Amino acid sequence: MTDRTEVAIVGSGPSGAVAALELVSAGIGVTVLEQGDWVPAEAFDGARPEWELTQLKQWHPNPNIRGRPEDYPIDTAASDVNPLMFAGVGGAALIYGAHWMRFMPSDFRVRSLDGVAEDWPFGYDDLAPFYAYVEEAMGVSGEDGNPAYPDGAPTPLPALPIGRVGRRAAAGMNRLGWHWWPGSNAIPSRPWRRLQPCVLRGTCGTGCSDGAKATPDRTHWPDALARGARLLTGARVVRIETDAQGRASGVIWVDRQGARHRLAADVVILCANGVGTPRLLLASGLANRSGLVGRRLMMHPFATVAGRFDDDLESWVGPAGQILTSCEFYETDASRGFLRGAKWNCMPAGGPQGFRAGYGNGPLTDAWGPAFHARTRASFGRSFEWGIIGEDLPDPDNRVRLADDLTDSDGLPAPRIAYRVSDNTRRMLDFHVARAREAMQAAGAVEIAETRLIRDCGWHLMGTAVMGADPETSVTDEYGRCHDVPNLHVMDGSTFPTSSGMNPTATIMAVAARSVLNLIDTRAGLEVA
Amino acid sequence: MTLTAEDRATLARLAALMVPGGAGMPSAARISLQGAPLDRVLAHAPQLSGPLGRFCAAARDVADMAGLDAAAQADRDGFEALAVAVGNAYFMAPQVRHAIGYPGQEARDASVGLTAGDQALLTPVWQRGRLWRAP
Ligand SMILES: Cc1cc2nc3c(=O)[nH]c(=O)nc-3n(C[C@H](O)[C@H](O)[C@H](O)COP(=O)(O)OP(=O)(O)OC[C@H]3O[C@@H](n4cnc5c(N)ncnc54)[C@H](O)[C@@H]3O)c2cc1C
Ligand code: SF4
Repeated sequence: MTDRTEVAIVGSGPSGAVAALELVSAGIGVTVLEQGDWVPAEAFDGARPEWELTQLKQWHPNPNIRGRPEDYPIDTAASDVNPLMFAGVGGAALIYGAHWMRFMPSDFRVRSLDGVAEDWPFGYDDLAPFYAYVEEAMGVSGEDGNPAYPDGAPTPLPALPIGRVGRRAAAGMNRLGWHWWPGSNAIPSRPWRRLQPCVLRGTCGTGCSDGAKATPDRTHWPDALARGARLLTGARVVRIETDAQGRASGVIWVDRQGARHRLAADVVILCANGVGTPRLLLASGLANRSGLVGRRLMMHPFATVAGRFDDDLESWVGPAGQILTSCEFYETDASRGFLRGAKWNCMPAGGPQGFRAGYGNGPLTDAWGPAFHARTRASFGRSFEWGIIGEDLPDPDNRVRLADDLTDSDGLPAPRIAYRVSDNTRRMLDFHVARAREAMQAAGAVEIAETRLIRDCGWHLMGTAVMGADPETSVTDEYGRCHDVPNLHVMDGSTFPTSSGMNPTATIMAVAARSVLNLIDTRAGLEVA
Repeated sequence: MTLTAEDRATLARLAALMVPGGAGMPSAARISLQGAPLDRVLAHAPQLSGPLGRFCAAARDVADMAGLDAAAQADRDGFEALAVAVGNAYFMAPQVRHAIGYPGQEARDASVGLTAGDQALLTPVWQRGRLWRAP
């Protein structure tokens, strides 16, 4: 029997949650298909001593390491960076850092300002009301008046404490006269709607066991379900179906027992992220007149500079979460030998194991044996890092394809990634690492260690179904509507023309809100199957 | 794969080399790391037991750090499993946490927000003025 819905949404992460809540609030029937399950707060290990152990496997951000059937494996043999994600109600946000950054005005005008890539079809001012809207929903904490933004990037809640780590890092930046600002995070500093106030446990990256971090299972799904949305978990979409006119007519999905189902829909929205969405479009053979589906993958190559200090910084205290940010070197300065820039975030070092991981590259005798205790005493609680998120420019050869020899637990082709870090990005990271070393020195670090490119850093997945006005050079229009299939929409980071140097979830949610409100406004004239 | 009694005896010797006592810290032997602390690790990280068993079987004759280094060179993944098991078993032990002054990832009050001192630190930042580039 064929099931029927007005709108089928694939994926229950931040973008799918925004789309579903708006649609159902407008009285439109929604069915969401999510391959993962609900994850209750008690499942996270943050408040248990095993926290550092289970982040190596059960809560690792790389689905290939977790190896759960609800995730799909990814062939990364031809990639410099591993894409990271999590299948569950709330998507990758369940394990995100909740670093909340709006893109900068210049990020929407890369072609006009720097002569590379493309401008976005809209600008910062167009998106600002949508940022404010999703920031309310996400209980974002921060300090108003950040001079890195034209409007100071106001947030609904006051900033989280910056602690000893933040003070130490800030003093270093002030010594150099460099920009820093208290971190903005999708983590409430006060009770906020269904969110508990943060208790600074610092385990945000492996899930918040205190119900504080803003994740869609708390911020969006309870309201969406109460208003009548239907959310099917353990439901993996295999492909999008079309009718004789080439319009989307629904989806085929498979349940955890392997049974296939058909869900007929007037409209299909893909919110499966920058890897999952092109995977589905390619598997369905849809919307690819431009040949750009899966191409232009951007993942934000990431470097870190860690410093060790002589004094006790209690550097296991959260959030993790970003304590501070810096946009000092965010904008292009061509004299540096590269275009575009990077944002920095100051992060605590975590527990005793997290710290050791950061310094674990030396000879065995440096880490173990007689040196072990001296090293622990000198280092534990006394370190933090500046993380560097480099803007990744789109390259058609960085792409998602379907693997011919790797499948998920349902036998569907896994995505295969080809991705190389560009020379521009390498020069950018070299420059930023050198500056971050200076920042650590200015803060008084007695030992500095750097990692120039972390392989497990593909947190941010963008660009693989690019938006634009021309169907020959883009996959969707500026509202995520596929040029080739007018009732098929993409509302995740896949549509981003460029990646910025910012954590993308604020922009993914704001763009999703802009797109879905347009869909609601224009639905009278919608072509449906 | 479960560790044999011989594997555990080897692991106890290797852990004693890796984590001796001193500087106010208990040794691995003192907390009987190869017993309940190791069980706790393996209960949460069963994926370690295979490489751990392999490494212990190959490292039965290791008697000093140089020998451990050589065994680690021969089996990086096995040594990695050993390091993860020993490190986590050790740092999860309450007496070790107490000795390094680590309360664990404890809950604190976040509503204190920024202090007056933090605001003073921020003053030069906003005094320097606008940073963004006009589009
Ligand atoms: C470890 C980590 C840390 C991060 N930290 C930050 C941060 O600090 N700040 C920030 O801004 N961003 C961060 N991110 C990125 C952030 O999580 C994503 O930008 C955000 O989750 C994207 O939302 P989305 O809804 O588009 O996609 P996702 O959250 O990835 O959700 C997509 C959902 O679709 C489901 N799905 C996919 N394919 C199918 C299918 N075929 N059938 C059914 N369901 C399917 C998936 O299971 C998933 O639940 C982080 C990501 C990771 C992994
Ligand atoms: S720091 Fe706050 S948001 Fe992060 S895990 Fe702890 S309580 Fe949750």
